Amino acid sequence: MSNPTTPPKGQMQLFDYLTVPLDPGSYRLHVESQVTHDPGQTATMTNDGYFDVVGPRFSLSPSDVAGTYPPRNGHGPFSDSLAQVVLKRRALPWERKLDAARPGGPLPAPSGGNQLAPGYPRPWMTLLVFEEGEYTLLPGVPLDKVMPKANFVALGSPAGITCDAVEADASLVQSILPSLEELQLLAHVRWVNIEDRELTVEGSDGWFAVVVGSRVPSSGAKCRACLVSLEERWDLVKSDPPASTEPGQSGPIFVPIQFPDYQPPVQNQYRWVEQPPDYSQVQIIMAPPAKTRLVVLFSWQFTCEGPGSFRDLMKNLDIGMIGAVQDAGKPALTDTCHLPLMLGERSGEAETVLYRGPLVPFELARDTLGPYHGADQARRVTPETGVEDVSYAAAFEVGRLLAAADARLAQELMRWRRGSYRQAARADTLLAIQASLTLNMPATLAEQLQVSLPPILATAAMGRMVQGAGPVADRYGLKAAGQTVGMNPAAVKEAWGLASLLEAQAILGGDPGALGLEIAPVPQTPRPNVTIATVAADAAGLGVLVKARDRVITSTKAKLGG
Amino acid sequence: MRAAWITGKECLRERLCRPDQLPAPNPEAEMPAYMESFLSHLRLLVGVPFEYLVPDARLLPDESIRFFYLDRSWTDRLVDGTICVGKIGSREQAHHQAHAAPVAQQLDVAERSVRDLQRQRVTFDDLRSGGYAQGPTQTITGFLLRSAAVSGWPHMDVRAFDKALDETFTPADAAAHELVKLRLERLSPSVLLALFQGVPKLVWCEEPHHGVQFGVHETNGQFSVFLRGPAGTALGGSMQIPVRQSQHRVVAVAALRRKLIQQGGGQIAQQTGSAAMAIELLNPPFRQRFENVQNQPPLSGLGGFTADVAVASHVSQPDIQATVQGLVYEHP
Repeated sequence: MSNPTTPPKGQMQLFDYLTVPLDPGSYRLHVESQVTHDPGQTATMTNDGYFDVVGPRFSLSPSDVAGTYPPRNGHGPFSDSLAQVVLKRRALPWERKLDAARPGGPLPAPSGGNQLAPGYPRPWMTLLVFEEGEYTLLPGVPLDKVMPKANFVALGSPAGITCDAVEADASLVQSILPSLEELQLLAHVRWVNIEDRELTVEGSDGWFAVVVGSRVPSSGAKCRACLVSLEERWDLVKSDPPASTEPGQSGPIFVPIQFPDYQPPVQNQYRWVEQPPDYSQVQIIMAPPAKTRLVVLFSWQFTCEGPGSFRDLMKNLDIGMIGAVQDAGKPALTDTCHLPLMLGERSGEAETVLYRGPLVPFELARDTLGPYHGADQARRVTPETGVEDVSYAAAFEVGRLLAAADARLAQELMRWRRGSYRQAARADTLLAIQASLTLNMPATLAEQLQVSLPPILATAAMGRMVQGAGPVADRYGLKAAGQTVGMNPAAVKEAWGLASLLEAQAILGGDPGALGLEIAPVPQTPRPNVTIATVAADAAGLGVLVKARDRVITSTKAKLGG
Repeated sequence: MRAAWITGKECLRERLCRPDQLPAPNPEAEMPAYMESFLSHLRLLVGVPFEYLVPDARLLPDESIRFFYLDRSWTDRLVDGTICVGKIGSREQAHHQAHAAPVAQQLDVAERSVRDLQRQRVTFDDLRSGGYAQGPTQTITGFLLRSAAVSGWPHMDVRAFDKALDETFTPADAAAHELVKLRLERLSPSVLLALFQGVPKLVWCEEPHHGVQFGVHETNGQFSVFLRGPAGTALGGSMQIPVRQSQHRVVAVAALRRKLIQQGGGQIAQQTGSAAMAIELLNPPFRQRFENVQNQPPLSGLGGFTADVAVASHVSQPDIQATVQGLVYEHP
């Protein structure tokens, strides 16, 4: 197999195990040099150095644990999960020995075929899941009180060590403790991409050792998962696992209980005879059950709660479109998915009406008759049955109540309307002004509303004033006189049946301009806008002005005689 | 005293005769942000009492999922009723009449951003400055789910697609066909409401992701695992797990390995050790698929299963072990 490369994001690589060349322990480094000097003279120089390779042994710092599943103190549906602990030291589970110091050699390989490869390392730790009440956690126990003497000696009789221990019935520990091969199968190494958010943890190199428990927590149980040390605990670990079974569909399997000292009396084949048990043959032994203690490296608690697995819940869902009912006719929906309801009418009578919520089992066309201004507008009567449909009226009322419950919304609505009214009034004003004054305005109404009106209005009004406003007055009463029937050319033309207006005017002895001709405004000399600076710079004009002023002064002086 | 340019009476007549004088998209005519946000939330039934959505409890029994189309007329009436607050006379009515169509158009666009607003990913001001999702108005569909799964798995992953993706889809294909989620919210601890833009052909609900876990599937006291290939892909079959006779909740790992060797066939990961065993015990998030039947939103469920995290296996071999040791040396 080629060299492993970093797994891409979203993938991981799994390894069976990872061993280090130097297991934790104390080592002596022996250096020996043979020196040859002068023919035939040799000297041997030796030097000894000592060093320790250290690693966790009787406890594990929480910082060495990269993660646990189920989460620490987690509550949730873990009843189909296998507990696991992820360790940052990737070779930790294989650093120490399970059975190296066992008298009579290491534990024999399990019987039967399909064995793991010889030399497959044996991990020294495993994850045990205890339920509440099954265990006692003992903090700070001297190490020699945790294990039998022989095992303690095999560890090298380390003095003065206290550790945390878990105590449980020996039979229980035996029933949940993995066998030798299972220990090997329940620990592996994982290599993940450190960029992968979902798999890795902060500050790691992507390598982890994972120890998995084999006990599935019961639903509803409060559990404690204990990572226990099995270093030199050959008294507990068995080569062959206990008998296994595959439960059938029928439910719990009753395992026959064997009483070695008690043979049940043979029943009469034909007659059921109540026979009192022969107590003389039963031994009742009152003895506390044997306990086993194990070194706890790390432990955490979690609680299984929740109703079964996600998968089962989703699989057993009742699926349907809205309106599907389990029991036909309950409730009695119409084919349009309306629900008949009793409604207290405003007249006080109870009436059956139809209601349908916003969730419908088929696509509906959108009502284009809106907007509606009152709930009553949205009430409908179905032609077939004559029953009233209040669905949309109800929707209208819900909307109204929700809005009324929200004080801020009511204010915003008011603000929205007020703003609109103000703008509309402005638009109307503009229109009314423009009917009498031509304003120089942008093309669109939206832009018109944006501009500042006073300067435009002032400009237009001034322009209009400058243009002049027709004849000032009818000073000689000619206009009024011209309106009399005899003086009015149009009336004369009509009365006399003349061919044209000019003819009538000629008869009346007037040229077209005689009666109130409009005086054309005096053309204005176009003058460019000038600034005071330009005026001041006009030396010729200034000279004229100075001369004019001098002339006035001179003549005034002359008038005043002096 | 000078007379006004226009009297109140004339003004009202203008409102009634020419109600559309100020086009709604103008900044002056648009709704205040709070109002627009409120109405677009309302369009997706945010805040509407549950009794109005499901008028009879039997329409959504325990452990059920109900798919639906959203009746747009109903939500339009909801909006009408809301705008109706503070309406006193014909002036307000005329105003509403004039603005109803532009308001509806604006809400059709704004409602698509409600989910982002709810998750506080954007603010309404961001939306106003051009962040609205574009595109034609589409049918809104969705489902209501009442199940213990909603309370037990609060961060369930819900997706809808306009194509019935098969089990081995590519992520790009999934992204191209995914429908926009307009709303995904728990109405009560055990009721989940989802709204999608468009008509889905496939909806799936997936267990929330917790990284890679190990587990078994329990059915009536029996445990089973799904058979997996060496890369962690599901092969489609499952196998019952042997358990210890004395403790039925303890997996007999050694017996399971032997059973896998005997019955797994050539496709599963070669059972040489703990890595291959771990692959078989992988418990990736379960994904429930609801697929379209005929021209209706999804009706029937089809349990599917796709590995979410691809797993590459490297089982123990002498040379790889050497390489790993080399790595240990280089990076102590």
